[in-house]
Amino acid sequence: MADVTNAKAIVRERPKEEFNFFQDQRVRSAFYQILTAGVVGWLVWYLVSNTAYNLEARGMNTGFGFWNVSAGFDTDFKLIEYQPGVGTYGRIFMIGALNTLLVSFLAIILSTILGFFIGVLRLSNNWLVSKVALIYVEIFRNVPLLIQIVFWFIGVFSLLPVVKKTIDLSFGTGRVLLNNRGLYFATPIPGGLFWMTLLTFAIAVIGVIIFRRRAKKLQEADGTQTRTLLPSLAAIVLLPLAVFFITGMPLEWNVPELKGFNFVGGTSVPPAFLALLVSLSIYHAAHIAESVRAGILSVNRGQSDAAMSIGLPSGRVMSLVIIPQAMPAIVPPMISNWMNTVKNSSLAIAIGYSDIVSLFMQTALNQAGYAVEMVGMTMAFYMFISLTISFFLNIYNKRVQLVER
Amino acid sequence: MSTAQSTAQLASAASSEVMIEINRMNKWYGSFHVLKDIDLTVHKGERIVVCGPSGSGKSTLIRCINALEEHQEGEIIVDGILLGKNLKNLDHIRTEVGMVFQNFNLFPHLTILENLTLGPVWVRKMGKAEAIETAMMYLERVKIPEQADKYPGQMSGGQQQRVAIARSLCMSPKIMLFDEPTSALDPEMIKEVLDTMVDLADTGMTMIVVTHEMGFAKTIADEVIFMDEGDIVERNNPEKFFGNPEHERTQKFLSQIL
Amino acid sequence: MAIVTAQKTPARSAPISETSVLGWLQKNLFSSAFNTALTLFTLYIIYITIKGTLGWGIADATFVAENRRACYDNSLTGACWAGVIDWLDNIFYGRYPREEIWRINFGGLLLVLWMAPLWLSRVKGKVLVGASVVVFYPFIAGYLFAGGGKGLFMQFMISGAIVAFIVNMANTLTSQLKNQSLGVFVISALGKTTAPDKSQRNILLLIVAIMFAVVFVWQTGWALEGISWTKWGGLFLTLVISGIGMASSLPGGILLALGRRSKLPVVRVLSTGFIEVFRSVPLITVLFMATTMFPLFMPEGFVLNKLVQVIIAVVLFNACYMAEIVRAGLQAIPKGQFEGAHTIGLGYWGTMGLIIMPQALKHMIPNIVGNIIGLLKDTTLVSIIGLFDLLGMLRSISKDVPWLGLHKEPLIFGAILFFIICFSMSKYSRHLEVKLSAGNSH
Repeated sequence: MADVTNAKAIVRERPKEEFNFFQDQRVRSAFYQILTAGVVGWLVWYLVSNTAYNLEARGMNTGFGFWNVSAGFDTDFKLIEYQPGVGTYGRIFMIGALNTLLVSFLAIILSTILGFFIGVLRLSNNWLVSKVALIYVEIFRNVPLLIQIVFWFIGVFSLLPVVKKTIDLSFGTGRVLLNNRGLYFATPIPGGLFWMTLLTFAIAVIGVIIFRRRAKKLQEADGTQTRTLLPSLAAIVLLPLAVFFITGMPLEWNVPELKGFNFVGGTSVPPAFLALLVSLSIYHAAHIAESVRAGILSVNRGQSDAAMSIGLPSGRVMSLVIIPQAMPAIVPPMISNWMNTVKNSSLAIAIGYSDIVSLFMQTALNQAGYAVEMVGMTMAFYMFISLTISFFLNIYNKRVQLVER
Repeated sequence: MSTAQSTAQLASAASSEVMIEINRMNKWYGSFHVLKDIDLTVHKGERIVVCGPSGSGKSTLIRCINALEEHQEGEIIVDGILLGKNLKNLDHIRTEVGMVFQNFNLFPHLTILENLTLGPVWVRKMGKAEAIETAMMYLERVKIPEQADKYPGQMSGGQQQRVAIARSLCMSPKIMLFDEPTSALDPEMIKEVLDTMVDLADTGMTMIVVTHEMGFAKTIADEVIFMDEGDIVERNNPEKFFGNPEHERTQKFLSQIL
Repeated sequence: MAIVTAQKTPARSAPISETSVLGWLQKNLFSSAFNTALTLFTLYIIYITIKGTLGWGIADATFVAENRRACYDNSLTGACWAGVIDWLDNIFYGRYPREEIWRINFGGLLLVLWMAPLWLSRVKGKVLVGASVVVFYPFIAGYLFAGGGKGLFMQFMISGAIVAFIVNMANTLTSQLKNQSLGVFVISALGKTTAPDKSQRNILLLIVAIMFAVVFVWQTGWALEGISWTKWGGLFLTLVISGIGMASSLPGGILLALGRRSKLPVVRVLSTGFIEVFRSVPLITVLFMATTMFPLFMPEGFVLNKLVQVIIAVVLFNACYMAEIVRAGLQAIPKGQFEGAHTIGLGYWGTMGLIIMPQALKHMIPNIVGNIIGLLKDTTLVSIIGLFDLLGMLRSISKDVPWLGLHKEPLIFGAILFFIICFSMSKYSRHLEVKLSAGNSH
C-alpha cells in the first residue's frame, strides 16, 4: 500500500503510542487489583491483629488442642460411642456432624418423595385436588421454617402422651412406640442363618436386573413386550421372604421395654429429632413440589401432543417423553433444595436437637472457649457439604448438556 | 500489488487523507487464527464493501477497528490514533467510529429519542435540548421522526435498523461500520435500510460495510474486498470485482451467491 | 368443487357442558369414577380440617380472659386467644415505651407516604423519589425510633429528609393535579418559563436552600427522648432488621455481582470466594459468628451492640444471595447491549448504570421479592441468639406468669401474620412479573 503516491500524499508521522501512565489499560487494571487486594488484605490483617490482641488480653484459649481434651457434658442423642468425661471434643464434633447428616439425609428423602407427590397433585386435572396441593404449598412456603419447627416440637411432639400411655404404632406388637420422650423402635438382631435370606435377596436383585435387560433386548429385537414390574417385585420380595421362613425366621428383635419410668432396649430418637425431621420434610417438600411442577410445565406442550399423536398411552407419555425432558429443569433446583435442607437443619438449635451447631458451636464453645476455631470448624463443615453437593450437581449438569447437544 | 495500484487510482472520489490503516494485523480466538496478516488502508470518504463466506473473519475485522475485539499482533491506526492499551485513545476511537449491528442492539428500555440522545448527553456532554434537536434531525434523515417516543420493541426490524443508524450518526462519527446490517431483516424491509445507507454514502461518510447485498455493493462501493479464511483475497473496484474477478476463490464465491 | 357454504355460518352458543356450572363440575371434578372418588375423599378431608380448625380456633376459643386458667374454665377444647390479645402491643412493638409508640407508627406512615408516588403512574421523576427514600429515610426513621441527642451530621440529614419529603409530596400533588413536575410548576407559577435553563435551575436550588435553612433552624428547637435498642422488639424489630437488610444488601449484592463478573482476576476471585463462603453456610452460624467473634474483631474499648452485630451479619449474608440474583439478571442481558453501549462510547460505569442495570433489575424483580420474603422469614432466627423479635416476643408469652405454658396460640398467630405478609408479597411479585413480561413485548 505504500505506493499510493499519485495523490498529494500527506506526510504523516506514524503515530507512536506514547506510554501514558494514567491512561494505560494495564496500569489501570493492575492498580484496581492491587487496590482491592490491599484493602481486603488490610481489613483481614486489622481484624486478625485485633482478634489476637483481644484473645491475649482476655486470656482466652487458642489453637486446636481442645480436639483431644475430654468433654464433660453428655448428649441425649448420639450415633457413636461417647462417655462424658472420657470422650473428647473431637468426638463431640463427630457426634454433631453425624446427627446433622442423619436428620438432613432422612429429611431429604422424605421431602423429595412428598414433594414429587404434591407436585404431581398440583398438576392433577381434578380441580379440587390441585387447589388443595396449592394451599399446602402456599401455607408451608410462606410461614418461617423456625416457627414451624418450634410448633411441631412444642405443639405436637411434646404434647404426646406420657410414657405410661405410650402409643403403639405397630398394631400391638410393641415394636414401634411413640410418647413424649420420643420414638422407640425395635432393632433386629440377625440370627445364625439370616445370611441365607440376605444372599437370596442379593441373588433376586441380580436376577431381576438380568431379567429386565433381556426383556428390553427382546423388545428391541422383535417388539415383544414382557411384563416386568410384577415378576420383579415378586422375585425381590417373595423369594427372600420364603427363604426367611424356611430357615426358621432367624431374626430376633431387641424390643423396647418399660423399665421403671422409661423404655430400655431397641433404638430411640428424641422428640426434637422428630419435630425437626417432620418440619424440614414438610417445608422442603413444598419447595420441591413447586420445582417439580415448574419443570413439568417447562416441557413444551407440543411434546405431549406429539407423543399422544403417535399413540403412546398417557402413562408412557409421562414416563418416556415428559419426565426425561423435565428432569434437567427439576434436578438443579431440587439439589439446591437439598443443600438448603442441610443448612436449615441447623435450626435444630432452637429445639435442642444435638446437631453440630447446638452441640459443638454452642455447648462445646460455651464450655471450652475457642470461639474462632469452633465457629470456623462448624462453618468449614457446612462448606464441605455444600462443595460436595455442588460437585455432583456440576457433574449432572455437564452430563445433561452433553446429551442435549 | 496490482490490486493496491488500482485502489489508489480509483479512489479519486475519496480524499487522500488516510482514515484507517491496518498493518500486518493478526487475531486469534484461542488457538484459532481468525485474521491473518491483514493490511488495509481506507481513505477519508471511501466506501468499502467487505464480502466473503461466513467464518471468513469479515465481521471480526471491523469489530477490531472499533476496538470491540482486541487484536494480538500488528497495528490498527484509526484517525491517526494507534489502538493499544491507552484507555483514553480507545475511548476516543469508540466515539469517532460508529457501528451498526446485525441485531440492531437498540436499548429496549429507552424510547427512540432516549436511545439517540444517550450518547451525545453522557459521552459528548451535549446539552439536552441540543441533543434532542440533533436526534430529531437524524430521525428526519432516516425518515421516521414520528416514531421518536416509541420503544424499539414497537417498531419493525427495518425501522429499528434505521434508528440504529441514526443513533450512531448522533455521535457525529468520522467512520461508520456496518456489520451485516440487513441480514436479520425480512426481505421487504431490506430496501428501506439500504436506501438509508445510500443516502448516507452520498454525504461523503467513510464507510465499511460487511454485507451480502451485491446490488448495494455495485451502487455505492468504491472498493469491494473479498475475504476468505482470514485473508483479504481480493480488493477491487466493483466493476472489475463483479465483472472480472481475478482470484479463483473470488470467482467461486461469486458463482455461488449471484 | 362447487361452493359448499354460500353464506357465513352464524356463531351458536356453546353446549351446556362448556358453559354451565354443572358442565364445569363434570369436567373438572367428576370426569371419571376415580376422579369422583378422589373428589369426595378430598372434600371429606377438607371438611374435617375446617371443622377442627374452626371449632378449636373460633367456636370453642376464648378471646377475653384474665389468665390461662380462666381460658380453661371457659373451654377446654378451644384456643386461648386471650393471651395473644393481651400481648398484642408487645407482639407489635416489643417493650417500646407505650407513650412513645406513635413514633414507630409515624415512621411507618412516613415511609408509606414517601413511597406511594412510586405506584402512581402520573408522577414524574420516580428515580429521584426512590433515591430520596434510600438516602434520607433511614436517617429520619433512625432518629424517630432511637431518639436522643442529634449530632451535626444527623441534624443535616434529618433536615434534608424533611425537605426531601416535602418536595416529594408537593411533586406528587402537582403531578397528579396539573400533570407536570414540581419544578416545571414552580417555574411557570413564577412566570420564568422563558428564562434560560441555568437560571431556572438556580431559582429552584435557591428555593430548596431556603427551605433547608428554615427546616434546619426549626429542628434545632426540639429533640426526641432517647430509647435504648434493648426496648425494641416484636414485629417492629423484625421489620427494622429486614428493612435494613433489604436496603443494604441490594447495593452490596450489585457490587459483589459486578466483582464476580469483573475481568480483573484478583477482584473476581475475592468476590467469588466471599459469595460462595457465605452462601454455603447456614445463617445461624453467621449470626453466631457475629455475636461471638465480632467483639474479638473490634479494637479495644470499641463495643458493638448486639443489634448492630446482628444487622451486619444479616446484611453480609443476604448480600451474597442478592449477588447471585443480580448475576443471573446480568447474564440474561444479551451481549449486543454491551456492544451497543460500547459503540456510542459509554465507559464501564456508564454502560452498567444506564444500559445494563436498568434492564437487568427489571428481570430480577420477582427474584428480589423472593429474596426479601426469604429475608423476612429468616429474621426469626435472631430470636435464637436472644433478640426479642416477633418470634422472640411470641415465645416469651409462655413465660409470662398469667399465660404460663401458652405455646401454641402465639405460634399460630405468628404463622398467620407471616403468612399474610409473605403471601401478599409473593402474589404482588407474580402480578408484577406478568405485568412486566407483558410490557416487554411492546
